[in-house]
Amino acid sequence: MKPSRPLLELKNVRKHFVDFHLEEVDIELNKGEVHVLIGENGSGKSTLMKLISGWFPPDGGAILYKGEPVQFRSIHEAQKNGIIYLHQDVQSFNNLSVAENVFFGRVPTFWGISFFVDLQRMLAECQQVFAELKISIDPAAQLGHLGYAERQLVAAARGYVSDAELVIFDEPTSAMSEPDRNILFDILNRLKENGTGIFYISHRMDEIRRIGNRVSVIHKGRIRGTERCDSVDKGSLLKMMSGDVLKNRYPRIGAEAGPVVMKVKNIVLKPILKGVDFHLRRGEILGITGLMGSGRTLLANCLFGIVRPEYGQVEINGEKVSIRHPIEAMSRGISLIPEDRAVNGMFFRHNLIQNITTATLPRFRSKGILNESYMRELTQDYVREMSIKPGNTGDIMETYSGGNQQKVMVSRWLMNHSKIYIMDEPTRGIDAASKVDIYNAMNDMVDKGASIILISSEIEEILGMSDRILVLAGGRIVAVMNSKDATKENILDYATDEG
Amino acid sequence: MYAIERIRIIKKYLEERGQAQVHTLSNLLGVSEVTVRRDLERLERDGWLTRTHGGAVINQNETVDPLLEILEEPEDDGSRDEIASVALRMVKDGDVVMLTNGALNVRLAVKLEERSNLTVLTNDLSIALRISLQNSNKVVLLGGDMDKSEKALFGSMSLANLQKFYVNHLFIEVDGINNNLQMTVNSQEKANLILGALELSENSIVVCPSDRFSKNAFYRLGKISIVRGIISNSKLEEDYKTRIFNSDIPLYTTVAAFEGSQ
Repeated sequence: MKPSRPLLELKNVRKHFVDFHLEEVDIELNKGEVHVLIGENGSGKSTLMKLISGWFPPDGGAILYKGEPVQFRSIHEAQKNGIIYLHQDVQSFNNLSVAENVFFGRVPTFWGISFFVDLQRMLAECQQVFAELKISIDPAAQLGHLGYAERQLVAAARGYVSDAELVIFDEPTSAMSEPDRNILFDILNRLKENGTGIFYISHRMDEIRRIGNRVSVIHKGRIRGTERCDSVDKGSLLKMMSGDVLKNRYPRIGAEAGPVVMKVKNIVLKPILKGVDFHLRRGEILGITGLMGSGRTLLANCLFGIVRPEYGQVEINGEKVSIRHPIEAMSRGISLIPEDRAVNGMFFRHNLIQNITTATLPRFRSKGILNESYMRELTQDYVREMSIKPGNTGDIMETYSGGNQQKVMVSRWLMNHSKIYIMDEPTRGIDAASKVDIYNAMNDMVDKGASIILISSEIEEILGMSDRILVLAGGRIVAVMNSKDATKENILDYATDEG
Repeated sequence: MYAIERIRIIKKYLEERGQAQVHTLSNLLGVSEVTVRRDLERLERDGWLTRTHGGAVINQNETVDPLLEILEEPEDDGSRDEIASVALRMVKDGDVVMLTNGALNVRLAVKLEERSNLTVLTNDLSIALRISLQNSNKVVLLGGDMDKSEKALFGSMSLANLQKFYVNHLFIEVDGINNNLQMTVNSQEKANLILGALELSENSIVVCPSDRFSKNAFYRLGKISIVRGIISNSKLEEDYKTRIFNSDIPLYTTVAAFEGSQ
């Protein structure tokens, strides 16, 4: 039965960022309803939820909460009014106990006026809540020691005890085992019964019917449609999710692939990777895609020896190898161009020549001395070929645009003469011209006998640049396709099907 | 204007009039007198003319053999050769390839030697001769009216010949791509031939060196959206890279950064 007026209504809401817009957003949530939000990576799901929970105000349109127009100035103000966003990175304190995290923000009211928090009592209360919810986590444990799935359960428990009237869950079940998922859904149902309204961001199609009342699809910052979960069909949701596909603009020159150079067997790293198998051929671009939490980056890190899987075998040119460290990976001819420049290896305060040559210093060393003129000469060659701008060898990296920084990173690893390149999100967040340069460098690499594992969340890029495509979902490769036969819709279909 | 284009015009002028003044040529070509003198020096070295005070006279009795001219290697700063190499990657043994007339496609014709069992259609005499020297490839010269300066064949006969073929890769050499991403060529006949060939081709690729961007030739061919891809040099301006990408047309460039695997 529909209540007379929704708990929350958004009318024609807009928000403009430099590189992203939310446009004409109309969405509503009733008391005791689970409204599922789906959309591909970067479609605007989390941005919309941040807007609702007071992270930033809208540029236009109206937000009505319990029938009244509201404009929360902060997340704290939103929380005081009963809206809580269980965001994985925010308001979870790694060095505090689980119990303190569960009761965070409630301490003054929960414990009366006393600011002397009685930790023993809090632990006991938490233990009681966990017993009720069937969560088996030690309330005294430090949050930072828990895994991703456990942290999601702690966050859900926090939502449960918060007395909030509107709770937002953001992909809580990525990397969750089935028993944990059942616990989470039990919490959701209890919240529903109490009349709490819930927004639930998900990428798993099976969850829509299992827990949702209505589902909305977001694509490029717009709501493409809202449907009732009990009557919606998967095909129309996939169509709304994929939108218009621009896939012609990728300059891939397909070529006949050579012999298998790498064989990966049964890589397991629980709870995320549950047995990954694939092979890579010489001169091939192998695309690997999957949604958030599918383990794309973790897989890359396993292959490059940054993370050690619990189980798994890798063969290079038919020979079994063990890769326990990036140095071993590099000695086997594997390079990883990592996902996040800011975290993984760009030295922002150092100059161009230092950044480009750092992975290949032995090339320039003779009799214990670095041959600086050779370093400069080779750097200049790369600067010219990759169109790195401005491209003076003494330029400090923090002055460069994202696209030029990324071309410096690509150059650094090209200089290493590897056979296998793992490129993790090589064009995320960079300008179109730099994308074109990097795609053409990839053509050059495979033309000269290298092989590339292209990991990307941008399905168009995967379709446009790969020879073969693997879809990673639920910790396994769920589909292998020739890119000629693949479409965005069927990739999304596999990627969202983990049930 | 390129040196090769100026030389062609100077030769034509001298053939018609027997002599020429530096300042007349400078006005005609829209380049400085210094540039004209340099071109005349080059033609003198080739035995084409004798320089006089303020101009040049054609060497009547030493006319260059037109067949030698056809086989003359066009000037290149390396950028055409790079583009031809990228184009070559797209061609597989046994394909039917068409090359429209032009100096860049001449480079590509030479490189096609690396493939076998190709059928190469062309309207360019120089390209046809080069393919005919390749043992494992076949050439079909599209007949028609001869354009003497371009050494290429055009007109309704070329178009009619073309109808008999299905082309896997059509490489179109254009003379300019302007700021609106409009492609242009320097004659109406060439535009007609290209438009006719487009209809019969599976993969149509424009080859255009970066220095022909932001330029207009006389005849409009159409927007870049009528072809399936563009090959240019990697030093092409960022603005063009961005706009071509945003037009959903693939831009293949001559990036050659990788030094190979160990």
